[in-house]
Amino acid sequence: MSDILKIDHVTKSFDDKVVLNNISLTIKHNEFVTLLGPSGCGKTTLLRLIGGFETLDQGHIYFEDEDVLNIPPNKRKVNTVFQHYALFPHLNVFDNIAFGLKLKKQPKEEINKAVMNMLMLVKLEGYEWRNVDTLSGGQKQRVAIARALVNQPNLLLLDEPLGALDLKLRQDMQYELKEMQRRLGITFIFVTHDQEEALTMSDRVVVMNEGLIQQVGSPQDIYNEPINQFSASFIGESNIIDGVMVTDYEVVFEGISHPCVDHGFENNEKVDVVIRPEDIVLIKPDQQMIQGVVTDIIFKGVHYEICVMVNDKEYVIHSTRAKHIGDKVSLKFGPNDIHIMRKSDA
Amino acid sequence: MHRLRAYVIPYRVWMTTLIILPSLMILFLAITDFDLYLKGPFVFTLEGLRVFTESTIQIALMNSIKYSLLTTIIALLIGYPAAYYLANLKSAYKTFFVALIIIPVWSNMLLRIIAWEKLFFPISILNNFGISLDWIGSDKAIVVGMLSMYFPFMILPIYSVLVKLDQHLIEAARDLGANGFDTFVKVILPLSLPGIVSGVIMTLLPAMTTFALPERLGGGKVLLIGNIIEDAFMKTGNLQMGSIISVVLMIIILILFKGIMTVDKEGETLL
Ligand SMILES: Nc1ncnc2c1ncn2[C@@H]1O[C@H](COP(=O)(O)OP(=O)(O)OP(=O)(O)O)[C@@H](O)[C@H]1O
Ligand SMILES: [Mg+2]
Repeated sequence: MSDILKIDHVTKSFDDKVVLNNISLTIKHNEFVTLLGPSGCGKTTLLRLIGGFETLDQGHIYFEDEDVLNIPPNKRKVNTVFQHYALFPHLNVFDNIAFGLKLKKQPKEEINKAVMNMLMLVKLEGYEWRNVDTLSGGQKQRVAIARALVNQPNLLLLDEPLGALDLKLRQDMQYELKEMQRRLGITFIFVTHDQEEALTMSDRVVVMNEGLIQQVGSPQDIYNEPINQFSASFIGESNIIDGVMVTDYEVVFEGISHPCVDHGFENNEKVDVVIRPEDIVLIKPDQQMIQGVVTDIIFKGVHYEICVMVNDKEYVIHSTRAKHIGDKVSLKFGPNDIHIMRKSDA
Repeated sequence: MHRLRAYVIPYRVWMTTLIILPSLMILFLAITDFDLYLKGPFVFTLEGLRVFTESTIQIALMNSIKYSLLTTIIALLIGYPAAYYLANLKSAYKTFFVALIIIPVWSNMLLRIIAWEKLFFPISILNNFGISLDWIGSDKAIVVGMLSMYFPFMILPIYSVLVKLDQHLIEAARDLGANGFDTFVKVILPLSLPGIVSGVIMTLLPAMTTFALPERLGGGKVLLIGNIIEDAFMKTGNLQMGSIISVVLMIIILILFKGIMTVDKEGETLL
């Protein structure tokens, strides 16, 4: 597989505010890449640079090995699903979706077929003559997806395309989008702040914060081996604890020494210790282990979310077995469940 | 909700006494034999329509349509690009430039007409610049006069639509493969249609019915339908004639608007 897009040391500022800081990223053909990060971290700006709607201050963007600097948006083989839909209010659903194909002067029957096909895909059959202003947020989002996808671009940019959908529809659309991406062989760059969505859909996840790429990796890598505290806290709920790496394979936190699988730190280096809520098992109080008291328990459907207070610090544990508030417990976890990260501010 | 209703009353009174009642009176005067001065009988009649067989009336009507359409078309052709330019101006003085266009509207229209009249005589202040115009009574005088009166009413509604146009829509069009021209024809123009319609209405309507302007700038040679109506009411006292012409004019205007409003929404027939 060759590269479809190469973002090479790109920097972008708005009025002296650096929004993207020396970003580099390479995306392969037919890859599903997700940009994940909090609001304002520069996800939309990065997509706009790729789409050609902003000019970069420094660096280069190569599309299929060609520098796109002077190529206007309409000449780029890229389509965008905009964050705020940007549907044409003067056109009905059908004409919105047909917009790109009509510009390409495709024969009427072909346009008809392609649009109807798309409507089926996004489950909006029968809506073709509706005015887009009368659609719900979720329906608008699906029209926006159809309008971009019908052009079969080499690269599709999706800016939080599922944000307005309810859970069920969202999951359906996640599946459909993933299916389409696989079947049509289109490369997707997908923006979301929903980490679960990022993890379930992507081949690769790019974690961003404040204009910087924090970590790039497969969903498994990102989830299991967060590279720093930001990644860890942003990807799923985590217990992040101050610790000291006394030597390779041994970390001390909460006053107890624990064996771990991490190494390559300096002796006695201060570190962040990350343990996932589902990796902790609650057992009877045990002198050799971290002990605490249950302070809260919430039923979450599949599991209970249990809060345990240990030396003024609250731990979150996911368990299928209920506990009672006030229960004295110990926290059990194995060496593999402990993830050690360098302090990000060190 | 109920409380707010009280505030609507003055507006209703205003509408009824100053717009609805007079309109009904005009309609009534137009299609009956009744005459306010002569206390004639209340007999329904369309006799009044006969005035349209008179050549003076026909000429005045054609003149009004000709000049107002010409003015509206020129105002649109200049006004749209100007409004477009102003709306996309990335200048701190944007509002100032727009204000420059509005300010003349605040001064008395009759004064402005008289100012033009002075310039259009062979002997005028323009002589100082080596220019001498003899335009009074010409098409040029009427059209230039009308343009200067009504141009702001064309440019403002178009400007306000274009300023509010969602830039993301333009980006979306570009994203889908539209070049600058396609984007204009398929997105910007159709979305600014409401502004164009109000601009056209606000220009066409006063231009079609004006009577002061041809009086001063026409030099007695150009007769517009507004002058006929004014004469009928103010000089000859032929209320039925004035009324029926007014009614017919209103109907013509309504039909025109109906036509403009049903312009193809995608703007494909516009070019
Ligand atoms: N045209 C602009 N002018 C000035 N500042 C801008 C402009 N566009 C974006 N910014 C700023 O750049 C930063 C990044 O914005 P961006 O829209 O890329 O964030 P985002 O990651 O997409 O956030 P969200 O998840 O809320 O959509 C923000 O601080 C924003 O205020
Ligand atoms: Mg965004």
